Amino acid sequence: MRLILLFAIFAMLGLALETAIPHLISFRPLLPNLIVILAVDLGFRHHSITAALLAFAIGYATDAFAGSHPGLNAFMITLIFLVCFEISSRLMVTSTFVGATVVFFGVILTALGAIAISSGFEAVSQSGSIMPSLALQAGISAIVAPFVFSILARCKRAIGLPVAPARE
Amino acid sequence: MRGGFLWRNRVLLTAGMLLVLSLHLVSTGVHPGDLAARPQSMFLEILRPIDAALARVSEGARSIVNGYFELIHVREDNVRLRSELAQVTNDRARLAELEAENQHLSELLELRDVLGLHAVAANVIGSDATGLSHTLILSAGSSNGLKPGMAVLSNQGVVGKIIAISPHASRVLLIDDHNSALDGFDQRSRARGIVAGMVDEGLILKYVDRSQDLKSGDAIVTSGLDGIFPRGLLVGTVKSVHREGPGLFLSVGITPGVDFRSLEQVLIVTQQPPHLDDKVKG
Repeated sequence: MRLILLFAIFAMLGLALETAIPHLISFRPLLPNLIVILAVDLGFRHHSITAALLAFAIGYATDAFAGSHPGLNAFMITLIFLVCFEISSRLMVTSTFVGATVVFFGVILTALGAIAISSGFEAVSQSGSIMPSLALQAGISAIVAPFVFSILARCKRAIGLPVAPARE
Repeated sequence: MRGGFLWRNRVLLTAGMLLVLSLHLVSTGVHPGDLAARPQSMFLEILRPIDAALARVSEGARSIVNGYFELIHVREDNVRLRSELAQVTNDRARLAELEAENQHLSELLELRDVLGLHAVAANVIGSDATGLSHTLILSAGSSNGLKPGMAVLSNQGVVGKIIAISPHASRVLLIDDHNSALDGFDQRSRARGIVAGMVDEGLILKYVDRSQDLKSGDAIVTSGLDGIFPRGLLVGTVKSVHREGPGLFLSVGITPGVDFRSLEQVLIVTQQPPHLDDKVKG
């Protein structure tokens, strides 16, 4: 329950910022993708059915504020959770550097995957012009990720949740 | 039991089922009134006050920034009157903001009257959360009579259509989104085509016959045949026409008539104007 509350608050905060701030600053790529960072933290550090459901719920909440195909972000965020879960459970790697690297590629793959599923692979081939800004956003997200992981870890400690990977 | 395959792979299997469920949602679509649409409406409703508050903060911040820049000029002219002028400048910035808002609303009302539309005005309170799609969040919802599929306009032209709704908020899919399309035609040559958005920015006019005479600067307007946008509204102007290369159709680039980034107020058409045929029959 504490895990659900913590991630619900962080997800709503992230979505509020991601919907309101682009209205203030004209250059969207400067804003990190906080939702992907949350999904990576869930996949790396919470090996439970609740965490998988949370990742799906965060993605589905994102669908309420982004895109035109409900379920698309839910799919991509659950996929990121699954990849992170596999990396941490099979390779036993959960370092911050790996987390930031996964965030970098996660942001790019989420974007391209969402375009491919919603508009087909032809649209992906036309998306070359958005790659520089996408790479910039991925880079900024990767830089911000360790700070978000650290804030999440402190919050988890404060409410008595495990910080390292924990199985049900 | 705990050592069984299902138990050992429970997280993997749960995530796999959720992936299948989300793909199912993408492929079948979520329609208003569906069980799957309720959480979406709930999320939109929860975040609406926060977005509205942040939008108000941004208005205030803009006023302060404008006031600050004007204050610098005043300081250069007369240091003694700095504090007094700061107050005046802040007031002026605020008044200018109110005047601009008033102007926008007046133009929207004028547009509504000219087109004979039944429409409601709404403020833009947020943008797309991921930035990949081109959508906006509006301050009006089903309690204001809005429904998914309604056309959204501004005094500059066509903005988009409503795709999701909650009692007090709604989301608009902009016409420059790569999943958006509307029926339009060139006002000068009368050549018809489908106006579609692109992954990055801008619009294209698809399926225009190569024999058609389109020129840069031509106005592209809505045809009204899609049943969403009233006929004759400005979509944009022709930016480029490419006749080279294979294919049956022209490649036409369009500059949108609306500056989507600076939109603050919009008009939502709640009832389509009667068609000419209906008027004749009437």
